[in-house]
Amino acid sequence: MIETIDRIIAEKGKTVDAVIPILQAIQDEFNYLPEKAMLRVCEQTEITPDRIYGISTFYSQFRHKPVGKHVIRVCVGTACHVKGAMRVYDAFRRELGIDDNDDTDSEGLFTVDKVACLGCCTIAPVVQIDNSTFGHVDPANVSNIIDEFLNSDTPVSDSGRNRLKGNQKNGGEIRIGLGSCCVASGSSDVKSELENSLKHIDTNIDVKQVGCVGICNQVPLLEIHKPGETPHYYTKIRSEEVDDIIRRHFRSDNLFRRLKSDISGYIDNYIIRGIPKSVRSYSSESVDTPVAEFLNGQINLATEHRGLLKPDDLEEYISLGGFKGLRDCLTHKDPDSIIETIKNSGLRGRGGGGFSSGLKWEMVRNASQQKKYIICNGDEGDPGAFMDRMLLESYPFRIIEGITIAAYAVGADSGLLYIRAEYPLAVKRINEALYYTRKAGLLGENIANSEFSFDLKIFEGAGAFICGEETALIASVEGNRGLPKMRPPYPAESGLWGKPTLINNAETFSLIPWIIRNGSSDFAAIGTENSKGTKVFALAGKINRGGLIEVPLGTTITDIVEKIGGGIPGGKKFKAVQIGGPSGGCIPASMCDISIDFESLSEAGAMMGSGGLVVLDEDDCMVDIARYFLAFTQDQSCGKCTFCRIGTRRMLEILDNICEGKGSMDDITTLEQLAESTKKGSLCGLGSTAPNPVISTLKYFREEYENHINGSCPTGKCKDLIRYFIKDDCIGCTKCAQDCPVDAIEFTPYEIHIVDNDKCIKCDICRMICPVNSVIII
Amino acid sequence: MINLTINNIEVQVDEGTSVLTATEKTGVKIPTMCFLKGMSNHPSCMICLVKDEQTGKLHPSCALPASEGMKIITDDDEIHSARKEALELLLSDHVGDCEAPCRPSCPANMNIPLMNRLISEEQYQEALDIVKQDIALPLILGYICPAPCEKACRRKQVDEAVSICSLKKKVAETGFEDETILHPQKQRSTGKKVAIIGSGPAGLSAAYYLLLYGHNCTIFDRNPEPGGSLRYSIPDEQLPKNALDKEISLIEKLGCKFNVDYNITAEVFNSDIKGQFDAVIIAMGNSDDSNIATFGFELGRYGLITDRKTYEVNQSGIFACGNIIRSRKMAVTSVAQGKAAARSANMYLSGQVPEAVHRLFNSKFGLLVDDEINEYKKETIPDLRIELPNGKLDNFSDEQAGIEASRCMHCDCRKPSTCKLRIYADEYGADQKKYKFGNRKSIKKYFQNDTIVFEPEKCIKCNLCVEICAKKQDVVGFTSIGRGFDMEISMPMNFSIDEIITDVATDCANHCPTGAISLK
Repeated sequence: MIETIDRIIAEKGKTVDAVIPILQAIQDEFNYLPEKAMLRVCEQTEITPDRIYGISTFYSQFRHKPVGKHVIRVCVGTACHVKGAMRVYDAFRRELGIDDNDDTDSEGLFTVDKVACLGCCTIAPVVQIDNSTFGHVDPANVSNIIDEFLNSDTPVSDSGRNRLKGNQKNGGEIRIGLGSCCVASGSSDVKSELENSLKHIDTNIDVKQVGCVGICNQVPLLEIHKPGETPHYYTKIRSEEVDDIIRRHFRSDNLFRRLKSDISGYIDNYIIRGIPKSVRSYSSESVDTPVAEFLNGQINLATEHRGLLKPDDLEEYISLGGFKGLRDCLTHKDPDSIIETIKNSGLRGRGGGGFSSGLKWEMVRNASQQKKYIICNGDEGDPGAFMDRMLLESYPFRIIEGITIAAYAVGADSGLLYIRAEYPLAVKRINEALYYTRKAGLLGENIANSEFSFDLKIFEGAGAFICGEETALIASVEGNRGLPKMRPPYPAESGLWGKPTLINNAETFSLIPWIIRNGSSDFAAIGTENSKGTKVFALAGKINRGGLIEVPLGTTITDIVEKIGGGIPGGKKFKAVQIGGPSGGCIPASMCDISIDFESLSEAGAMMGSGGLVVLDEDDCMVDIARYFLAFTQDQSCGKCTFCRIGTRRMLEILDNICEGKGSMDDITTLEQLAESTKKGSLCGLGSTAPNPVISTLKYFREEYENHINGSCPTGKCKDLIRYFIKDDCIGCTKCAQDCPVDAIEFTPYEIHIVDNDKCIKCDICRMICPVNSVIII
Repeated sequence: MINLTINNIEVQVDEGTSVLTATEKTGVKIPTMCFLKGMSNHPSCMICLVKDEQTGKLHPSCALPASEGMKIITDDDEIHSARKEALELLLSDHVGDCEAPCRPSCPANMNIPLMNRLISEEQYQEALDIVKQDIALPLILGYICPAPCEKACRRKQVDEAVSICSLKKKVAETGFEDETILHPQKQRSTGKKVAIIGSGPAGLSAAYYLLLYGHNCTIFDRNPEPGGSLRYSIPDEQLPKNALDKEISLIEKLGCKFNVDYNITAEVFNSDIKGQFDAVIIAMGNSDDSNIATFGFELGRYGLITDRKTYEVNQSGIFACGNIIRSRKMAVTSVAQGKAAARSANMYLSGQVPEAVHRLFNSKFGLLVDDEINEYKKETIPDLRIELPNGKLDNFSDEQAGIEASRCMHCDCRKPSTCKLRIYADEYGADQKKYKFGNRKSIKKYFQNDTIVFEPEKCIKCNLCVEICAKKQDVVGFTSIGRGFDMEISMPMNFSIDEIITDVATDCANHCPTGAISLK
């Protein structure tokens, strides 16, 4: 062990700011942090035991106990939560027979853990076992998932462009999305099957892995592009269907109509799941296909060339106008004029606060100290958001270009990309992109042969929502616990290592190249009076077409939900949207005509936040939603300020009581009072916005709180207030009895089954499994 | 220089000065807990919140830099209630007793745990001083008190309560037996005269304290000998007469005049007593047995009506205590009231308006659970309660008293008068129960050699100790562990408290704003 630790130290350095990277490396090696290892680090470096332990216990990535051979991470993000993530979590623990006080099964094979968000909200509930991700998990299929995992030996491959046969004419290109959602939905299996099938084809075909295509709920998505043909799109592909598709396309050309190639209208043809067994294709003229609707109303700036760009292909990015903006800046523009352009564009920070980006840049530029830093904030912690992940995974070059332009404008010579540890693919892609960019002379010394030098590296966050707050982020880079500081001084004056530091969100940076290339007025023409341009949202929850969308600011929530998202599935009633995650609020359906811009959302009691947009339907309990977010913030609070540390916990306890039917009307008053004082008395944004989910649900759904206090949960979500009941149209199929994990349903073939509610643990399996919907919640 | 206004007063300070420091210039003191000069002052407690008048927002003044044109308000209703709420939240997570449960359950509020510790150290002089601060008749009560304190004693959860009552009697006995022990002395004579009507426990107690204040006292009693119910209602087998006489003669030695066989009628009272004395204490025992109804005072269901806190009747300068205001079983209650009435009379005699004794805020957490008993056992000895053959009629030997007193578990906080949380909770009238919904945390106690005691559940997470330790080379120090509500200050990894702090231990204890780290 000592040698390993010493090697890690040699690699990461001996200064205090190396503490997080060192711990991450130790954990990579041992799966947890052995105390011996930490003590060795203290002996050999400037890092002291109090610091190392303060850090290792602050960030949720770190473990102090050995883990099982495999780690099951159950995502409990917002979208997963509303789709029953806790039941999935309970089911895994039950299936593996894990005790209440433990997290690992007795054989040490699996450790079950909750994770704040995996950023795969559209295929919720999501579970990650080691590096495999499973979507649409329900409590009834956890045993299958465990089996499937144990029996599969396919490593995830992401090996880049695959040129199969060397010297034949170009027969076309097959694109497959390899964003995290796609991979989770089985795109790597599809890809390996694809490679197999293509071995039998004579034509030379490129298999190209593109970034996230945005239509995350339809993945895996396979696109077939042939010269002279309209591209074809296959959604929700299963690996066994691949061969069939390939044979149809590359042997029987006649099957599909030849149309004029049109790359800009990139999705014309759309083939839904079930094909190719019964081939049906949409006409290219048709405008009401699901994909066309999904894309209608979107404007792609941050996500420009979506579905076309290969994330790690610098040449392609450049051929589509990439780095033109940067070159332009370096050769024709002085920093002041760039800042002027950004100011005129009206761009406001996309990380949540909405501060004018131009002004921020100007503050950093005007700061008196010579040395300046730049940080790209990719610590997307909102448990219902995945914009940053997708942008980092799919458009790494664009973000690097944006950062470099900003660095030139403010006069920074080095920078950091702070990326959550939960986003390994994003880290990998950015690393590759940094390598290629540097190699191409677009990063490093004398960028593009100019006088300007700038370099960037990655800092991996270690799992702390608070580190999305800029001062806490800086603290963590400096090797400290992620505690926010009082502002002023702002990082623009005194940031990383006390130097002026520009911190912008990943999405903000990704808009910069477009603004530079197209000019500030083109950007300002999009959006509203005070909120210019576009915003990327992670649309998830109870929605037909969830995914990553980029819409002009000013779009109404209704348009997003109904038109882009295609409404609520299963004929359910649209109830509310949760915008802005733990800092945001719930806006009821009746108010969803408001335009999405910074001011309107704040007025409605929500917040732009980072852009998580979780749709809730009539089945969602608003008290439970408020409780969910409070449970999140009280755990994610840095623990420094009294109001945030204890106030959020007390609010959670009140909500727990209410959800368990033990609340009183006085509790609502206490809750309101605590919410108000926590808002006022917290130092940073996390604390001061933490009560928002409570305040907004109390404002718009007060009667639901009162219902709970009176003993009923109208949506049937709160375990302690519901009972399961089997109606007399039960066909006696025994499925529920077979699958009930606690034998609360007696096995009575051909008879009406009965739930023993004293035994019932409300896992919902019977209700989901019943073929005739006889199991109901009362 | 920066110009700002604080509470509408213009202040000029250097750049970089905090609003907290700037406010000092105006003579206003902002409460602080997590603040310490020379430290990083990363605000956490939020007790120092002030308002920026221009934005209406509250900020912690310790970390808020003064800026040009700033307008600060340091106290208004909103600030006051925010500070109070911060205190209430901290208190909801503060598992600790300010006072050991025995003390508030004693009607006389005697400092029992301190007496116990002094006995265990054989410091009888100091022990007697402590006892006599609150109990004028410890020997008498040593025989007859039903000892409500022992019912509240936490030691009961381990085995049996500490024999508090007999220990107190031991102290009183020693006071009479050991000639080297001095009894409390009188203050300089005031020349004022106080009449005390009734020589039962209330009257004797009132006389004792009034004498110590330096007033002249005359006790009137209708019976031939002083002592009231102590002499005439309690059998000799319970309270030997010589014990009664010892304590009465002590009061006599302090200069008290006794007018026995003296029946006070309404006429005598209104003409002679009121006319000749500067103040009167009425301690005539049960109102049913007295002629009080004829005196012209306001009477209620239970007896003579007095102010509940000052014991003043509806005529100024006249106070009443003991069973005359309400019949109670325990003599200790009368003894306590006698002291309180004496205090009020003294205030009256020195030209002040009598005021109630202010009992400081007292944090409580209820019964010990499970492992907590073991934590408390760390501060005590395993010996069982010493039962004497004849119970309260017997006396502890010095050795027995030492053992019995050492059974006390030091339930009281070590910083009862310096803990800032207590001081401000008291000042802001904080309600500890307001936010107590969840399960409380479990108490732990760590002892560092013989220097300090660390009780993490009293910690308010100010991080001062962490920083104090971090400034010292070669000291591992405390660290913050975890985050969110579960964040705690403790020893890193498996280090013991002895390993992590050495010479900074005293510093940590002195700067800890609460009783979380205190000198042993």
